[in-house]
Amino acid sequence: MPVRRKVLTWGAAAAATPLLAACGEQAGAARLTKQAPRRDGQKVNLVFWTWVPLQKAVALWNKTHPDIHVELQIVPNGLNGGYQKIHSSLKAGSPPDLAQVEYHTIPEFMLVNGLTNLSKYGVDKLKDQYVDWQWSQGVFDGQLHAMPQASGPMGFYYRKDIFERCDAEVPSTWDEFRAAAIKIKKRAGGSLIGSFAPNSALWFAAFSWQRGARWIRTEGDTWIVDIDSEASREVADFWDGLLRDELVLAMPDLTSGWYRAAQTGRMASWPGPQWGDALLRGNTPGTKGKWRVTTLPQWEKGDNASANQGGSATAVPQGSRHPVEAIEFAHWLNTDAKSIDLLVEAGYGWPAARIDLGDSALGKPDAFFGGQRYNEVFQESDGNVDTSWKWAPTTSQSFEHIKDAMGRVAAGNGTLVEALGDIQGRFIDDFKAKGLKVRSA
Amino acid sequence: MAATAHSPSKTPSAGSSGATGSTSRNARRSARPDGAGWYFLGPFLLLFLFAFVLPIGYAIYQSLLTVERSGPLGLGKPGVGFAGLENYTLALQQADFVDSFGRVLLFGVVQVPVMLVLALTLALMLDQLSNRWAGLLRASYFLPYGIPGVIATILWGFLYVPGISPITEVLGSAAPDFLGYDNVLWSIANIVVWEFAGYNMLIIVAQLKSIPQELYEAAKIDGAGPWQTALRIKIPLVRPALVLTCVFSIIGTMQLFAEPLVLKVLTPAVTSTFTPNLNAYNDAFANANIHLAAAKAVILAIVACALSFGFLSLVTRKQRRQR
Repeated sequence: MPVRRKVLTWGAAAAATPLLAACGEQAGAARLTKQAPRRDGQKVNLVFWTWVPLQKAVALWNKTHPDIHVELQIVPNGLNGGYQKIHSSLKAGSPPDLAQVEYHTIPEFMLVNGLTNLSKYGVDKLKDQYVDWQWSQGVFDGQLHAMPQASGPMGFYYRKDIFERCDAEVPSTWDEFRAAAIKIKKRAGGSLIGSFAPNSALWFAAFSWQRGARWIRTEGDTWIVDIDSEASREVADFWDGLLRDELVLAMPDLTSGWYRAAQTGRMASWPGPQWGDALLRGNTPGTKGKWRVTTLPQWEKGDNASANQGGSATAVPQGSRHPVEAIEFAHWLNTDAKSIDLLVEAGYGWPAARIDLGDSALGKPDAFFGGQRYNEVFQESDGNVDTSWKWAPTTSQSFEHIKDAMGRVAAGNGTLVEALGDIQGRFIDDFKAKGLKVRSA
Repeated sequence: MAATAHSPSKTPSAGSSGATGSTSRNARRSARPDGAGWYFLGPFLLLFLFAFVLPIGYAIYQSLLTVERSGPLGLGKPGVGFAGLENYTLALQQADFVDSFGRVLLFGVVQVPVMLVLALTLALMLDQLSNRWAGLLRASYFLPYGIPGVIATILWGFLYVPGISPITEVLGSAAPDFLGYDNVLWSIANIVVWEFAGYNMLIIVAQLKSIPQELYEAAKIDGAGPWQTALRIKIPLVRPALVLTCVFSIIGTMQLFAEPLVLKVLTPAVTSTFTPNLNAYNDAFANANIHLAAAKAVILAIVACALSFGFLSLVTRKQRRQR
């Protein structure tokens, strides 16, 4: 009998564990960042989660900085698993010391108190070395919460040979884009001007951004959602027309099928971000020399509005024991000239550091783009990005609504213009579900 | 899961009526258990507690909480508060979540019978074959089960994507859009059938092997051909195996996750709320709302439980009536 009593006692103790845990229950990060004391000569080990192949730059750092070792761990990109991993590690109290976080996801991690306030560790003195608007992507309440790493100013990648063969003019406005699309469909024998990517809300957002829409604003302590605006409707209507007339492929971008279309010339152009260069180069080697880059087509003739697709920061998740060393590494990674060259090679995007194009690998002529100094286009584009654009702290959820709507439209059900109102309503519901103050514009 | 633990113990007892005498003798002895019993039960109880009771309790507890936000724009340090059943009402108000149940139910109604009929047919055919060939075929039908679901889906994904798929290459414009809105659910069903038909077949084959040879001999003497033997003897006698595989399949259907998650990358037709499980996963890890996700997971468990127990009681009631 004593045995039985013992078993019951242990059972009761185990059953009570969740109740005890309740006392310590908290939202967001289970552990807060605290600098661990460090003796002279003590070696520090940092763990860095990213999906950009930064191995070479990290190897260079480890060679030149023997006292701080960085262990690079490649995770799935963004919402394909990387963020899920960061969220669970925050909750579990075992985050990495550094993590790649896209600009549009920073507010979301702020909302769960997931990022270390880097201003506390003296990061502000580095501000002058970064592009202003990229720096401000990580600033909340005047404090920096993520080191800017790279952005994705947009340009227009196109197949020079196909455009020439079809006698189509390289478009400088979206109207001309449509005209070229009609020509290419008629004359290219199976090629279309490009694809509509129903899987990329970021890509669709970029065009609204370029048109002057502002999806999210803040007024005092209230978030204001304005997706169903005049500017967004114009963009939606434009793509509706292209889809209706079957002038573009409706195909998720950056997938195997999409790369196949780029390889075979089924897709003659791509309005895409600067970091797309490495993807084209790596996935369509057979088309070397046939691609060129020019400015993103404009909504009004003579304008020079640009947009940004993607871009990331190097953040220090809440719970790190080495924020000072992490900042030291992140700063080196994103500003050191040798590091930037290695990063550019790995295709990480447009640098967040102020750089001189001529001094960097970015300024060299490129054989894949027929010897063009194509990054000059992106440098100009970077300067023309409207930097007042803001992201919602519910971006992951909200993007899903856009993707669902775009997918349905791409499959021939309804129009994007009709979908915008529905998306706006769902955006607002997402805010409410998070317990935030929100209203429609 | 609860249903899986029960079904094997239920099904054999239905067939063997001779066991009643021994159970009553056991019952008398177990009225006064000695300590040794606990040593045997201990490992099971411990595992059961830590792997089963605790996580479920924790999920239910989490589902009753909510995050409270403070500060301008809600970016201040968040706290956790008691929400009662708020998460449950929120989950049930989400049309996407309710729709996802409709989707897996439709999926199950079509996919489970197709798979089980296929498994039964394969099993009956294997039973007719000579032993040497049967072993080889059994192994090859079973092979897909050895391939993880994620790999299987990637593999089929390549066969579905237009431009890469050899199927669309051969069929040309006659090829269906496997990843389109109307078809993607059945494309997933195809993957699941491919993965599990062989596994279910194996369970049925095992039951077929346990049928006493005398029954066949008797049937032969009565003049039954292979068709009649199959219909009158084999199928009725593998009924317990069919019930078991059907319960497994119902639970598996409700838990549909890996296949849509992998296909999601390839097509916009698979949304992040495609199945209840995917929906809960998305809330927990992408939207960082584990409390809502816990509520959804609990709802899913209740529905899965109700469906599998409902099916079992339906089947056993019929059995009882037949007797």
